Amino acid sequence: MKALIIVGHGSHLNEDSSLPVYEHAALVRDHYTGEFDEVVECFWKEEPSMRHVLDMVESENITVVPAFISEGYFTQQVIPRELGLDGPVTHRDGRTIRYAGPLGTFEGMPDVILERADDLLKGKGTRPGRTALVLLGHGTDLNKNSGGVVYLNAERIRERGVYDLVEVGFLDQDPPIAEVVEGVEAENVVLIPVFIAEGWHTRETIPEDLGLTGEVTERADKTIFYGAPVGTHPSVADLIVSRARETEGREAELARDVS
Amino acid sequence: MRATSPERSGGEAPRRNTAAEARAAFAAWVGEAPEGRSFGQVIVRQTPEGYELRHAANVGVPDEELVVHGDPREAREIAKLTEEGEYRPLKSSPNLRRGWVLRVEDERGLYVAMNYLYPSGVVHWHLYRNGELEITNYRENAARQSGIYKRVQRLSDEGVQNAARACCEDAVCLKKTLWDVDENTPRLSEPGEGEIPCPEPCSIFVSFARRVRLFERENKRDLDAIGLSPSEKEDLSALVDAAATGSVEFAREAEFEEPLNERRMRYRKLTLVPKLRPDEDAATPDEG
Repeated sequence: MKALIIVGHGSHLNEDSSLPVYEHAALVRDHYTGEFDEVVECFWKEEPSMRHVLDMVESENITVVPAFISEGYFTQQVIPRELGLDGPVTHRDGRTIRYAGPLGTFEGMPDVILERADDLLKGKGTRPGRTALVLLGHGTDLNKNSGGVVYLNAERIRERGVYDLVEVGFLDQDPPIAEVVEGVEAENVVLIPVFIAEGWHTRETIPEDLGLTGEVTERADKTIFYGAPVGTHPSVADLIVSRARETEGREAELARDVS
Repeated sequence: MRATSPERSGGEAPRRNTAAEARAAFAAWVGEAPEGRSFGQVIVRQTPEGYELRHAANVGVPDEELVVHGDPREAREIAKLTEEGEYRPLKSSPNLRRGWVLRVEDERGLYVAMNYLYPSGVVHWHLYRNGELEITNYRENAARQSGIYKRVQRLSDEGVQNAARACCEDAVCLKKTLWDVDENTPRLSEPGEGEIPCPEPCSIFVSFARRVRLFERENKRDLDAIGLSPSEKEDLSALVDAAATGSVEFAREAEFEEPLNERRMRYRKLTLVPKLRPDEDAATPDEG
């Protein structure tokens, strides 16, 4: 039997944090019937905990996909520790547990960001002139990977030439998002949070700091379109499955490396 | 170290599927009791069509007065919010809402539903019944914490004891607490009467322990002339302010940084009330 375990951060305070994990799990069950016998959610701050999720799962062939944006503290330290993983592939108690990388660094991520931007602009008028895509990351001075993943996606999208400009701004590191949005030389600014879930930042601090009035904010010099976090987009379910499939070749690779 | 239970001894022997065993054992246990079994706040009963789950307070209530569910995954929505619409971060809190009945076709549906109502409850129940549940004591759990939770390693034994009384007893969590402070220091709080074992401090407990550790630190250096700490005074003021308005509105269940949090108040009852009323024996949080 085959299981997919999706790991989310979860929250002690609100239901927003785990919601995308549940929604993506439901989509995987519906859209990928037969690929996994079990699709199970687990969390750092909610139940079932990472610590106990493997007890609940019946399958012997398990892939763990973290619903996290960047490689860092959670994906490298907390998740492997709590699940008792040895590395990309763990053999234990007659089970094989494959551990996938985070979603943000995956090559399919730019497609989801572009879909999110398209969905946002659908049916809305833009001003004549340039359109900039601005990716908003949380960022932290403590870990350069946190911001790096946002730059990585910006670069990948820039290469496609879909937007006149692709810029990056952060909440907790430079450049600050407010300055980026003010300074960007475009008549239309499409602002997409590279976050996994809705929460305090996406609902309150960001709109407040940038003076946004909703999905569309008209300023004298530009129109700002503010999208939902990329992690809540339904296509993330496909990304999770792709991430899981990608881990399957690993054992063969590891075997080759050894021989 | 986690104890090694038989299913973890692995090797070349065929894998023992504990989760599948637990699913079957739970269904059989339910099937043996025509009146149904109580698990947390839920009554589970076998019916000719499958299994029926409802809140224990809704036994005998006709369908017309309940919301009837037929998909085991709808159990997640049932378990998400309290009757007052508050988010439930801890599914074993005694605040599962009433007013619903969930009917599932088979054992697998039952397992799915139970794992949303009481995540990993069935498998832990099964392992505990067989004497195979691995227990992780507080100190082992604390030793692996990192980041903002690393400080829980410094929580005193007394702090762990009071945190467990405030955070884990049946008034606030229906799991049966099985872990101790460490292998030589038994936990003194009431373990609880329920069917669902708690083999290890949960994330809510670790977060609460972190808050208690912060209280401990301030106790040493910040006491005023009558021995009160800044956070104790903050809590007393908040309580007086709130009560003076005629209704005390509590903070969210796991909002431990807020004065009017129930578990935080339970901790104050254990540690602050004896200071204020030194002549009386400390009452347990459940009294009064």
